[in-house]
Amino acid sequence: MTTSLLEYFFINTFFVLLVSPLFMGLIKKVKAHMQGRRGPPLLQMYYQLLKLFKKETVVSLNSSFVTLIAPYINIIFMLAASLCVPLVFIPTANFGFGNVILFLYLMVMAKIFMAFGGLDAGSSFGGMGSSREMTISAIFEPVVIIVVSALAFVLKTFNIHEMFAATLVGPSLTNAALVLTGVALFIILITETSRVPVDNPETHLELTMVHEAMILESSGPNLALMELSHAIKNTLLMAMLINILIPWGLAVTLTPISWLIGMLAFLFKGIVLAVIMGVFESVTAKSRLFGLRTFFILAFSLAFVTIMFELLV
Amino acid sequence: MMNPTSILLIKVLFVFILGTAALIIMQKSLASLFSLYSVQSLLMAVVSLVLFKETGSYVLLSLAILTVITKVVIIPYMLNKVRKDSGIHRDSEFRYLTPVSAILVGIALIFVSYSSFYRVFQLSQDNLFFLGAVIGVSLALLGMLVIISRKKIVTKAVGYLMMENGVLLFGLFIAELPFIIELFIIVDLVIFILLAAVLSMGIDSTEEDLTRKLNNLTKWFKQ
Amino acid sequence: MLLFAIGVGLCLLSALVTLCFVSRNNPQVRKAALWLTIAAGLIFIFQSVRIALTDQSLNYTFTQIAPQLQFTFLIDRLAAFFILIVSIVTVTVAIYSLRYVEVSTSGTRRNLFIPLMNIFILSMLFFVASANSFAQLLCWELMSLSSFILVMYHYEKEETRKTGIFYFIMTQMSTIFLMLGFILMYNATGSFAIAASPFLTAGTNTLIFIFLFCGFGIKAGIIPFHKWLPYAHSSSPSNISALMSGVMIKVAIYGMVRYVIFVLDPQLWWGILILIAGTISALLGVIYALKEHDIKRLLAYHSIENIGIILIGLGLYIIFDSYGLSDLAFLSLAASLFHTLNHAIFKSLLFLTAGSVVEETGTRDIEKMGGLVKTMPFTAALFLIGALSISALPPFNGFVSELMIFQAFFSAFSIPNPYVVILLIICLSLFALTSALAAACFVKAFGIIFLAMPRSEKAQHAHEVPRAMLIGPGILAFLCIGLGVFSFQIFGWLGFKPPMPNLLWVFLTLIIFLIPTLIVMRKTTGGKIRRSGTWSCGLPAPDSQTEYTASGFSEPILTFFKPIYKTDKILIRNFWDKYDSTFKNGQAEIKVMKIFEERIYMPIANCVRYLSQKVSGAQNVDLDTFILYSFITVIILVLAVGWIL
Repeated sequence: MTTSLLEYFFINTFFVLLVSPLFMGLIKKVKAHMQGRRGPPLLQMYYQLLKLFKKETVVSLNSSFVTLIAPYINIIFMLAASLCVPLVFIPTANFGFGNVILFLYLMVMAKIFMAFGGLDAGSSFGGMGSSREMTISAIFEPVVIIVVSALAFVLKTFNIHEMFAATLVGPSLTNAALVLTGVALFIILITETSRVPVDNPETHLELTMVHEAMILESSGPNLALMELSHAIKNTLLMAMLINILIPWGLAVTLTPISWLIGMLAFLFKGIVLAVIMGVFESVTAKSRLFGLRTFFILAFSLAFVTIMFELLV
Repeated sequence: MMNPTSILLIKVLFVFILGTAALIIMQKSLASLFSLYSVQSLLMAVVSLVLFKETGSYVLLSLAILTVITKVVIIPYMLNKVRKDSGIHRDSEFRYLTPVSAILVGIALIFVSYSSFYRVFQLSQDNLFFLGAVIGVSLALLGMLVIISRKKIVTKAVGYLMMENGVLLFGLFIAELPFIIELFIIVDLVIFILLAAVLSMGIDSTEEDLTRKLNNLTKWFKQ
Repeated sequence: MLLFAIGVGLCLLSALVTLCFVSRNNPQVRKAALWLTIAAGLIFIFQSVRIALTDQSLNYTFTQIAPQLQFTFLIDRLAAFFILIVSIVTVTVAIYSLRYVEVSTSGTRRNLFIPLMNIFILSMLFFVASANSFAQLLCWELMSLSSFILVMYHYEKEETRKTGIFYFIMTQMSTIFLMLGFILMYNATGSFAIAASPFLTAGTNTLIFIFLFCGFGIKAGIIPFHKWLPYAHSSSPSNISALMSGVMIKVAIYGMVRYVIFVLDPQLWWGILILIAGTISALLGVIYALKEHDIKRLLAYHSIENIGIILIGLGLYIIFDSYGLSDLAFLSLAASLFHTLNHAIFKSLLFLTAGSVVEETGTRDIEKMGGLVKTMPFTAALFLIGALSISALPPFNGFVSELMIFQAFFSAFSIPNPYVVILLIICLSLFALTSALAAACFVKAFGIIFLAMPRSEKAQHAHEVPRAMLIGPGILAFLCIGLGVFSFQIFGWLGFKPPMPNLLWVFLTLIIFLIPTLIVMRKTTGGKIRRSGTWSCGLPAPDSQTEYTASGFSEPILTFFKPIYKTDKILIRNFWDKYDSTFKNGQAEIKVMKIFEERIYMPIANCVRYLSQKVSGAQNVDLDTFILYSFITVIILVLAVGWIL
């Protein structure tokens, strides 16, 4: 049991760190092609991270220890959250690590320190980004909790590891509630990774920035850690969606062959989902901050109606 | 009795129908309203196609084809033509309710229709028919919500068409065919009158314009 | 038992010591008295932990005035838990007060402060420990009186006087409700003992519940009885705010838990009422907190929110219990009680550090603070830990209790009644909204107070507070982290096994991830950091004008919740002509309507004043009318005697 857990620890973390920049690069490439450009190379984010690690760290005169510890907090909490979501391999025991609320709140902790970093430099952009990010996260939280509770009800557990194991054993695509929850999970993916229509990850106009505004003042290795943790968050949420709907390929045993199959399967499914995300981002327009109300309430009503159907009928 | 995949398909289609209804409630752009309506009618046609595949009754097949021809192709095409000619593209005036609260009220209406049917029906009948009846009545109630919460008559007409969709869905699952046809005739009479009012006063009109014109008419009578 | 007596004796001794030297301004005397209080608190902690771990109750009868009126003490595990809460906060507040007491006004007042604080603490302790409702009422009154005097500490300010009187009236109302409840209980069961009795019929049960719920609810700060909380907490000295918010509110919760669960027979609709009251308090508490820019009022509204969360747990317990789902019921009750402990700890921490900040900057308005993290780094770190705990973030203690409540909610689907399930789901989404909004509010609070640049002169010249004012909150911060990380183990020691993740592993994993990150960063940067100015769009030197303000930070959220903050806009325009084309003059006003005060409290107060005027009119009459009154009374007595006999 302990060896299973140890192997899971290493494989999951290693795989997440390896694969996250690839997915980000892929989404950018798809968006570029939809716009008629060629776009940056697929491995661009790896090059960028390596380059950032070589640059010097510049922090503002106004900032304090909060800016200095924020990247560390970001990356370690995001890596701890990555242990909650099995990407290729489900361990036999997990010490309660897969608790879905723990997963969500570990990611919230990373987000809060990013918001502190935005306020710390004393610039208006950072403050504005922090304010909007906390607003969106607050208004969106009920939707996330309702969707997660729908998942918990349908799959009879609130441990993510057990959820994936349940969908691996029982049929998942033939469960109507899961399919509809998948749509809601997609909306959660778009919102939490700050993509169009909630936020534009490629803009550098202050009026439209939310996530980018908070990391505006970071530089060098700190910025590399922030970007990496954002990419990891993207991968983790994609994994939630993929492994609940299409869990084939998830390994449960310790043999290297099953890991290889699991990694390849995840890579393939991830590529398909990344393409879908890129296409979705290109055909949607960014909506106003206050117009997000209706967007979220749609996701909320979808999840709520799903619960009502599964529960009451 | 029924094939599990088709049960699954119908359930998914039901929730998507409700999804389009929720989008119609909060939509402000007229083009989206009309395309949402055609999507909804398409989904209804698919539902009746699946039912046809199960039961083999050719009436359902002809119903599906008729729905596709009239509600998915002809009516939205005419509405869009009028919209392009008149140049009016948005209806953003709400009355009594904001978009967010309208959706919340919509969810409450779905729950209300569920709970009232729950008391009437015993669940010894097929689960799917119960669900179909509930969704049909919910759709009709949501259509009524659209009618009361918007000002422009064109949106009210779309809400009315949504009500008709709901009645059709209800009838598909509960009633037999001749009854459905009679219901349709009654329901369509009302929409003819409504469309006549719209045609006489312009697609941009609200019901305040209508009341004003009718008031003028009564003054003419009183002389 | 002897240890408890020693503890009580130490508290009384500390009070006496300062009273002896009351007119002399001797800081050594005060320090000695506070050390006595600290010692007493430590004894109480030791005793209560021993009782909680070994499950031995203590029974003691003090005196007996009449057969029904005795001062009995019964300390079982629940009471020991609450005594633990009281004593932890006491010890840390006393350590903090070692230096904080010196910063206010005259010597006599400071000397009176300490005995009053001791009496306050002792009255709360006796309330929790007593087994007789008559004794409890006495302690409740003593608690209200001492806290009223403590709230009025700065009575030279008019604002303090008004809030003190408001607070006093509200506590007296809560006493009235409690008295009604206790008298009804005595009537039905024939004794003042706090124990379940077979004589309580269903109707009496309900009536007693309503009275006790109102009485304890006023003291705990449930909406709509909450209006006194922000006023009282903001105008009292910070250590008193910490004591009140951390402990006094919890004592009201203790009363509710004890009576509803042990004495009365809980029904399903009570659970639903408590759940709905808790959800509304939580949501409205945090929404009103977002609007506040007074640091203490903000923290007070968050107390209302957390009391709402505790009540949610309690309501869930009653609902699950009435359906027989005892595992889930137990989980909700454990979550509720654990959140009580957590809230006492992190709220006291927040109030104490806020007190340090207010003392240093001389203002309570957060719009005038800023940049304090560089001049007061330890206070900032302590406030940060408190803010992270209250936002329910792992691995701190606030996260654990909210996690347990979330898990209780998720299992709601096992209830057979679908309407109740829909209600629970709605409450779940509102609860999630509450905790996310609380996180947003504390990002604002910590960010605006401590980060970026100072926004006023005094904030620029602030310096770090003395060590005693850091050690007290420091202990609380240490407890926040410890209770969070070791939560699973602590529950194991108490003999329970809740289905929650082992946060110790999470903490260790975080440390494990930290080490390679530090190594990598050290290798790549070599530890060098270059500092330069923030880009401020070309202004020559960035000053506090370019940074974000608190109002700006909370503006998007306020706009989302605009229907809840009722603002009245008054626009009066006068024109010269009848076609309204030439403007003459006008008046524009935006008034924030205080719904609870203007629509609920003031009409009731006006009604009461009207009635009492009528009654006093009937009283202030001349001698002849008095003789008439006596004559009528005698006639009625004669008739009554005739009829009864």
